[in-house]
Amino acid sequence: MFTATIDAALLKDSIETLTVLVDEARFRISPEGIAVRAVDPANVAMVSFDLTPNAFDDFSASDCEIGLDLTKITDILGVAERSDKVIIELDEQSKKLSIGIGQISYTLALLDPSTIRAEPRIPQLDLAAEIVINGKDLMKSVKAAEKISDHMSLGVEGETFFIEAKGDTDNMRQEMTREQLIDLKTGDVHSLFSLDYLTDMVKPASKSNEVTLHLGSDLPLKLNFNIANGEGKIGYLLAPRIESD
Amino acid sequence: MGTDIGDLLEKRTVELPDLSRRVVAIDAFNTLYQFLSIIRQRDGTPLKDSQGRTTSHLSGILYRLTTLCEMGIKPILVFDGKPPHFKSATIKKRTGIREAASVRWADAKEKGLAEEAYKYAQASSKVDQTIIDDSMQLLEYMGIPCVQALSEGEAQAAYMVQQGDADYIGSQDYDSLLFGAPHVVRNLTITGKRKLPGKNIYVDVSPELIDLDNTLTKLGIDRSQLVDIAMCVGTDYNPGLENIGPKKALKLIREHGNIEAVLNTLGQTIEDLDAKKDFFLHPPVTDDYELKWKKPDSEAIFNFLCDEHDFSRARVAKAVERLEASADTGQKTLDQWF
Repeated sequence: MFTATIDAALLKDSIETLTVLVDEARFRISPEGIAVRAVDPANVAMVSFDLTPNAFDDFSASDCEIGLDLTKITDILGVAERSDKVIIELDEQSKKLSIGIGQISYTLALLDPSTIRAEPRIPQLDLAAEIVINGKDLMKSVKAAEKISDHMSLGVEGETFFIEAKGDTDNMRQEMTREQLIDLKTGDVHSLFSLDYLTDMVKPASKSNEVTLHLGSDLPLKLNFNIANGEGKIGYLLAPRIESD
Repeated sequence: MGTDIGDLLEKRTVELPDLSRRVVAIDAFNTLYQFLSIIRQRDGTPLKDSQGRTTSHLSGILYRLTTLCEMGIKPILVFDGKPPHFKSATIKKRTGIREAASVRWADAKEKGLAEEAYKYAQASSKVDQTIIDDSMQLLEYMGIPCVQALSEGEAQAAYMVQQGDADYIGSQDYDSLLFGAPHVVRNLTITGKRKLPGKNIYVDVSPELIDLDNTLTKLGIDRSQLVDIAMCVGTDYNPGLENIGPKKALKLIREHGNIEAVLNTLGQTIEDLDAKKDFFLHPPVTDDYELKWKKPDSEAIFNFLCDEHDFSRARVAKAVERLEASADTGQKTLDQWF
């Protein structure tokens, strides 16, 4: 059993945090809220998504798992104004999900969750450095790096958080000290990441005032932020690239 | 070529994408022979540039290996070094067959016998130093690592799989199993629709995996006994015992435990038996190799293939584009942290 009412804007933003990595996902629904853990098809990045019942105007659910075609949902939510309310109702018998937007009502077929990749375990990583940064600032840095290359380094040297991109002929570097950040736990580290993935991840993160980055050396990046006034948590994990000459 | 023990082995058919992200050490000579024998014009003449130099192998390397790279497979080409002295009889015989085939090819072509001509043309394929040098050159431009073996390429490739530097050996021969290769993949460079030799029939060829441990467990023997069976049937180093096929050899080895006891019972001998067995079980190998997949040097590929060897620029450009798109970016997956 599952019925819920939620702001269209919040639902759109929530789905967007998933579609940057996957087209289909398994949603674990329970009285405690909704959870998704998904890995992109190339095994390079994963997302953990949690939304509490408080993020909804109205939420009532018993334990169930459903598979959704996210591309289709995104498309449908295109008809909703950001201020609209979306009413969601699951019909477990017929395996359909109904989505009501104003006077419009969609009935969507669910995907069989067993055909969607199983939930990954979340790796335990020992990442020495932690940077808390404004989401918009992070997006600006990533966009700046994109002008030069398709990958960029993130690192900490002493009291400085740095972003560096090296192209075939041109370089870009940005340095931020503790004062320009919200918080910084130092540790000398740096890792290289694909901008294909980072660009997609920082887009939803840019709406958040506080984005936390956990970094190691040649280790995956953890990028965490909240949505829905803290009622939703998003965590991305991105595998590094290894520098080649 | 190689030993004929295929019927005894545990095989599993897969598709190319299943091998994505796997490192495959390919027996270079074996593959070059395939290219030279399959990639030919209708009358059997290999592809040639305007100066009459053979280019079938270059075409095979560019297009077939690009397909593998596109599937995310990471190839390494392992080239033969000096063959063991007891291989000389086999090598002499092969040279003889090639020379005879070459004469018959010319003859068939003259008489206008197309099918005959094609068959003998294939059998006359020869890997010479120029072909090896050209191949290594092109592989370097494509950013695919080459390894020079001390002796047999398959032995070196088997060693690299044992060391964990490669996941599979790519070879058509079963000899790699005798050299101790844990995992072998066949048909890698001939996957797709292929004509059956000597017949006008086309079949779908898929890669085939052979697992040494599974095979040995299923047969209830160890690797040394597998070598014994192969030597009963015949290898590149010995002609094999008369009227003994793989099944009979298996039965004999199971019954008597090893080839020495089998030979005793049959009253037969194999020349240099100990040395040959020891060569399979402890072949000369080297740690002197570096495995680095680099970005393809498109400029060098165009110069070499189009300017020097008259390849079509448009076709090469397409292959280079595919190769560049599949080039290793150093992107790790999360697998190792799960």
